[in-house]
Amino acid sequence: MSRINDVGGMAGFPAITEESDEPPFHADWEAHVFALNGALIKRGVYNLDEFRDAIERMSPEEYLAASYYERWFTAITMLLIEKGVASPEELDLPHG
Amino acid sequence: MADLAPGMRVRTRTADPDGHTRLPRYARGAVGVLVEEAGVHPLADDRARGRAGTPQPVWHVRFAAADLFGSGDHTVTVELWGEYLTPIEEHA
Amino acid sequence: MSGDHTSSVISAQVRHVEALLESRGLLDNGEIDGRIDKFLTRGSPANGARITARAWVDAGFSERLLADANSAIREVGLSMAGGLQEQRLKVVVNTVEEHNVVVCTLCSCYPLALLGPSPSWYKSEAYRSRVVRDPRGVLREFGLELPERTRISVWDASAESRYMVVPRRPEGTEGLSEEQLAALVTRKGLIGTAAV
Repeated sequence: MSRINDVGGMAGFPAITEESDEPPFHADWEAHVFALNGALIKRGVYNLDEFRDAIERMSPEEYLAASYYERWFTAITMLLIEKGVASPEELDLPHG
Repeated sequence: MADLAPGMRVRTRTADPDGHTRLPRYARGAVGVLVEEAGVHPLADDRARGRAGTPQPVWHVRFAAADLFGSGDHTVTVELWGEYLTPIEEHA
Repeated sequence: MSGDHTSSVISAQVRHVEALLESRGLLDNGEIDGRIDKFLTRGSPANGARITARAWVDAGFSERLLADANSAIREVGLSMAGGLQEQRLKVVVNTVEEHNVVVCTLCSCYPLALLGPSPSWYKSEAYRSRVVRDPRGVLREFGLELPERTRISVWDASAESRYMVVPRRPEGTEGLSEEQLAALVTRKGLIGTAAV
């Protein structure tokens, strides 16, 4: 079924905004999320299409509210749970 | 799957499957022309479901914007797996 | 992006997940930093600009580039094999008659090896949704007004190929060296949202 990522031709999005001198990553954690994904794919924990699929399975509300690398991190944690690598409790920050 | 060749007119799959696919909805059920083959790859739909998938040719398929959106004088070329495509019978 | 608080929470979560994966042997010490360095140094629009300048001065190279881009870019010391797997490269060339512009409507596919990290606008729903439907309007937003007679071809990177546009060589650049020509080329020119 059509998913929220499939936006080609859709109406209603705002004007395109360009950021001058945009850095490759806007925060250190974004670079870490990027690298983490590459490492897990290389190890065969999941493949690139499973990763894309996981992003697409986010709810439309969540997808549209999230930044680019927030989507990536959501997909990574979804897949770690689904592949049995870690439980949701283990992935959660320990409460201090 | 039928033999595909450049210049052939094809219709894209109309169905909207559950889960990951690489046929964008704006190009669903549309008629376009094959431009050239873009390599041979396992279907992404299969890989996204954790299956290896059988490699098959992928094509650049060109659509007239007017056929996709009802207006526009540009073209949109989409990269589509052979499995999404059915040749259109040409009648003489 | 979300505010500072969200950013510090997610930052702590990412560190936590990394530590967990390290403890399970799924990440090596230093692997993340190594990957980040590699990504940041691997590609930049200077690579795409070099290919473009060579295509402008060498008609034979231009022909080979359009026929088989993966082989042709090796002539200038570049390759599409640096990522997870060798990717097929499709190069298209702008002329007076035809202007090409590239998008990935489903996600954010982009020729990282030749253009470096992609800009946020390329990954935005705004660009992805509209450029397939109204490219002339989108290009106008970028300040690129094309003559009516120029046809527009949009390429949706919906499968395994990656795309690069060779912009038109500006007039009055006959006397420039290949290096000087490369300096004229911008990232947006290589995507098709700027003239050069």
